[in-house]
Amino acid sequence: MREKHGAWSALFAEKGATLSKYFLRRVAHRWDAQDLVQEVYLRLLRIEPADAANIRSPEAYLFTVAANLVKEHAVLRQQQPMGSDELEQVVEQLAAPTNLEADMDSELRQQRLGVLIDRLSPKCKAVLIMHYRDELSYREIAKRMAISTSMVKKYIVKGLAACRQRMADYE
Amino acid sequence: MNDSTQFDAARQARRITEQAVSWYIEQQEPLSERQRVAFLNWLRASPRHVAEYFAVAQMHGDFKAAAILKTITAEELVERAGRDSPVVMFPLMGSAIAKEHRPRTGRARRVAARAAGLVAAVLMAWLGVGYWREANGRVERSFQGDTAAVRSVTLPDGTLVQLDQNSRIDVHFDGRFRRIEVVRGNALFDVGKDAKRPMLVHVGGHVLQDIGTVFDVKREAGGDTLTVISGHVRVLNALDASHKDEFASLLDGIAVADLTAGQQISLNVAGVSTKQPAQIARATAWLPSEIRFQHETIGNVARRFNAYTSKPLVIENESIADERISGIFHADNPQAFAAYLSTLPDVRVVEERDRVRIVASSRTATKNGSM
Repeated sequence: MREKHGAWSALFAEKGATLSKYFLRRVAHRWDAQDLVQEVYLRLLRIEPADAANIRSPEAYLFTVAANLVKEHAVLRQQQPMGSDELEQVVEQLAAPTNLEADMDSELRQQRLGVLIDRLSPKCKAVLIMHYRDELSYREIAKRMAISTSMVKKYIVKGLAACRQRMADYE
Repeated sequence: MNDSTQFDAARQARRITEQAVSWYIEQQEPLSERQRVAFLNWLRASPRHVAEYFAVAQMHGDFKAAAILKTITAEELVERAGRDSPVVMFPLMGSAIAKEHRPRTGRARRVAARAAGLVAAVLMAWLGVGYWREANGRVERSFQGDTAAVRSVTLPDGTLVQLDQNSRIDVHFDGRFRRIEVVRGNALFDVGKDAKRPMLVHVGGHVLQDIGTVFDVKREAGGDTLTVISGHVRVLNALDASHKDEFASLLDGIAVADLTAGQQISLNVAGVSTKQPAQIARATAWLPSEIRFQHETIGNVARRFNAYTSKPLVIENESIADERISGIFHADNPQAFAAYLSTLPDVRVVEERDRVRIVASSRTATKNGSM
């Protein structure tokens, strides 16, 4: 974290005032975001074993906890509480909290992802594009590719993981 | 941080990513109670898990937007996926790879391979060839460069290797892969065609996957250099795959770099430099400056010239390629050789942007035919 901080200081020294307000606000968010992950994590730890089994959807629980925490923080910072698309924003902020990625706008992220997709193996690429762009089901993709549905799933997991790893490299 | 802890950290980060993605994908169907508990336990195991899960959720959203921008049709995607040679290889894992067969076709393939091996063995016994330790195209051999001059080696798949003085390569060919390890020194590869067995060249922590190509690998204490003379080479990070489970992730992983003719990169433990335009003459300066050939086929001579130029000579007509000639040329002057070829009867030289095609001059052929 100290390293990241150093890098930011250097950036400010270099770019000076032009960046200031916009970036300062964003950086403040970044540190918050990391705290938030920590806080979300602590709340997960506090769940009693008996209650854990009763959580119908751990994923929804996770996002709800996160969204509530962001709301609380927003109030603390005397900002407007988040609107209807808060979940998206929470995810946006929480994603890889200490990285530059969080500061990249989504257009740049998508552009980078686009490049990474082209560098996947042809099979992986085919499966992912058919799934995400053409919204084909695993079964439909399996049929077109003449592979099993479990292979389709495997390619999706492998492809997403490979892209996520490389996106993390930008951090 | 030393290399091994950096390496462990990278491996651990990748494992977390893969777990996060797997869990994310699992949510598309309602989880069973057992899965719900397992997922919650996974999240509770580390804040890094939580952070990574959020990151994957975000990427999932971006992915759709990125995929929509792709204009390639589904038909093309399927067609290209079918053409893809199925597997990329990590040399240090030779024995593990054989188990990667898809179960349904595995048995049939093994039987076929055994039969083919038998035929090859019988054939070799018949021919009395014992030079290669080979059966069914298998080769296990190490080649050392001469101490005095550059050495040329032709491998059984047609791959032509030029080895600099004091250089060494280890060749491992089996039924599924052609693997060559550049142990030290400088080697230039003109890769023979074998669509069924991808050629993988291992250089330090990197694997170069070629597709019908000429490229130069130079190993030095400070790092390695890859120069692509013609064709296309894909660089994969072999450090990614240290044991069997992780091999699979290399296969579907992302290329570290894709190089085409005239490009160069340096490789070291830390990674891969950015692509740079290569000075082919400098990269191949260690090769002999003359090409001498005696009663050699035009096809082979052309390949020797192609080691020096990003604009390869392509002999399109088989009977021209098989014709035998003798001579001496300056290696850096393939134009002179092309000019010489154009003086041969029925040969026409067609200059194109990225290649020089040697074709049969059809006009003469028809004239002869009508006469």
